[in-house]
Amino acid sequence: MSGTDSQSPIIGDPPAYDAVIVGASLAGCATAIQLGRAGLRVAMIEKQPDPNAFKRMCSHFIQASGVPAIERLGLLEPIEAAGGLRPQMHMWTRWGWVEAPPDRAGRGVNLRREVLDPMVRNTAAETPGVEVMLGWSVERLLRGDGGFGGVVARDREGTERELRGRLTIGADGRDSKVAELSEVPVKTYPHNRIAYGGYFEGPPPKHSPDSTIWFLDPHWAAAFPTDSDLTFYAAMPTKDRLPEFKRDPEAALVRFVADVPEAPPILDSRPVEPVLGKIEMTNRMRKPVAPGLALIGDAALATDPLFGVGCGWAFQSAEWLSDAVLPAFQGEESLEQGLERYRRRHARELRGHAFLIHDYATGRPMSAVERLMFSAAAQDPKAAELLDRMGTRRARPQQAMPRLLPRAVAVHARHALAR
Amino acid sequence: MSAAAQRTTLLAGGTRTRLVQAGPAEATEAVVFVHGNPGSADDWERLVAAAGAAGHRAVAFDLPDFGETIAPDGFEHTPFGYAEFVAEALQELGIERAQLVLHDFGGPIGLIWAMGHPDALAGIVLIDTGVLPGYTWHTLARVWRTPVLGELFQAITNRSGYRFALNRNEPRGLPREFVETMYDHYDRRTRRAVLKLYRATPDPGGMSENLIGLLAPRQIPALVIWGEHDAYLPASYAHEQEKAFPGADVHVLATSGHWPFVDAPETVERLLVEFLARAGAPVSEPAG
Repeated sequence: MSGTDSQSPIIGDPPAYDAVIVGASLAGCATAIQLGRAGLRVAMIEKQPDPNAFKRMCSHFIQASGVPAIERLGLLEPIEAAGGLRPQMHMWTRWGWVEAPPDRAGRGVNLRREVLDPMVRNTAAETPGVEVMLGWSVERLLRGDGGFGGVVARDREGTERELRGRLTIGADGRDSKVAELSEVPVKTYPHNRIAYGGYFEGPPPKHSPDSTIWFLDPHWAAAFPTDSDLTFYAAMPTKDRLPEFKRDPEAALVRFVADVPEAPPILDSRPVEPVLGKIEMTNRMRKPVAPGLALIGDAALATDPLFGVGCGWAFQSAEWLSDAVLPAFQGEESLEQGLERYRRRHARELRGHAFLIHDYATGRPMSAVERLMFSAAAQDPKAAELLDRMGTRRARPQQAMPRLLPRAVAVHARHALAR
Repeated sequence: MSAAAQRTTLLAGGTRTRLVQAGPAEATEAVVFVHGNPGSADDWERLVAAAGAAGHRAVAFDLPDFGETIAPDGFEHTPFGYAEFVAEALQELGIERAQLVLHDFGGPIGLIWAMGHPDALAGIVLIDTGVLPGYTWHTLARVWRTPVLGELFQAITNRSGYRFALNRNEPRGLPREFVETMYDHYDRRTRRAVLKLYRATPDPGGMSENLIGLLAPRQIPALVIWGEHDAYLPASYAHEQEKAFPGADVHVLATSGHWPFVDAPETVERLLVEFLARAGAPVSEPAG
């Protein structure tokens, strides 16, 4: 297998760690915290040397589905103490606003990554048993008994260090080096929108502190109020709008958001940092396990940022993996059994969502079924609640759609009769 | 919200037309709205009031045989005939310089007026219209342009068919009242005028090069608003307007169709008022 160190004497060489994690962003740190708290020895390497490094190109929005995992890590209270908001979602559609009843709506988290990432990383670093190595990147994968068994890490001066572990975890994002080296199967899906966004200070949007998104079909825009009285404004038009965004990202973003129906007060606001954009966002879905190896977060499933699922799924996949492999480390079963359980959980929870997300990421307008669901949800609170459960990823499409679709048909029939 | 626009009539070039106006009536520079097909002075009531409230003189009128206005015998139902009418109306109103606001077929008409009066063009707002290089007529226009078929189509168009055909192509639908008024105005005279106007315009993009050559060097302040889902004049033409109006402020409205001032009235009003503030100082203080 390429990318592995075939000269390494492995057999009989006891691994220094139970788990070696590559990538100290949300998914990696969440896993490190959980495994460390369970008594495991964990090494976590991160190529960024700065302990306060954070992911810049991110809406920072965490879907409600990720909140229980955050709470379990004990991070929800610190997040709220740091000014994090707990918004529900208000969705503009051409049929009206889709808003779940406030007491039934999913509530996510809005906290800037600049605050969130160091908080999560510090928590991991303070967890007994977790050794965080900043400024180290993965160079090669090591082989262990019947599978992968750690990594060769390299620092900025070129010093290499072998980190042997029974479980190797790739938490290194959309362009995962671990995934590449391990050659796990990957499927790619085209993405035909661009994403531009930035933090603004100014008057709060109408639904503040809640979040607002506009399904402009096929374009999309959002206003996410967050900590420090800032609002993250974002636009995701299809790629044909790229020239104006490339020419002047800030002007194009402001113009785009200001022109949406019932626009938020972006014209009365000013950016506190440069507006950033991302043009290439090919979606990647990888098999999240290989012998002795697991992928979590974006490394396992890097999907369309339009739906704000990345951060939540990072915390959730970390939780699923930790829960799945702990019995093996406690000697109750083989590691492969645990990894297989993680693979199945990952597929069961996310595959339905991923299918719908990847399809919409092509930049196409809404399908007839989507129009039916959204238009019904704009007229009927129960339909809005079901759509909210699916949109905040608290319900899988397989769970929500069998209830939502008949209701949507009924809502339309009722309105047709009323006319 | 702005004060209401006033309604009166105006006699220009032998046509007694309906006039919607606001702002200082004595000003010699004005915001002049030219409607499209089908359309009338009624289309502009909200925007005329908004421009007036911002301190500008603003006028809108029916083109002959549109709205409730009857063309005199011998009126030339061509873009040139209508441009001539615009010139006569402005002369009658004492308007020497104009910020044109054009929609749909008001585009060619207003641009022809501008070719003849380039020094009088102070600024331009193009709403789903403008220079259209390479444009070929949409299906409905081709029907209108075909002898016999066009007459037959106009004869059988009834209220429900009209309403259906209009709304079918609009992403958010149009308010019922707007469509009903438009149909009320779509009488036999208007139907005949439409056939003549479209038949007199074989190549809607034909003048584009001349227009670009004439207007681009003049650096005329311009605002372009286009509904992304316009089924008649594609939104891809929005940025083409920069060829004739370099530096134009171009807004493609993501959820609008052919009538952005109807399906996104607040946005269009805001853009217009901001543009007028940039393009020229009001001639008097805003009326509040």
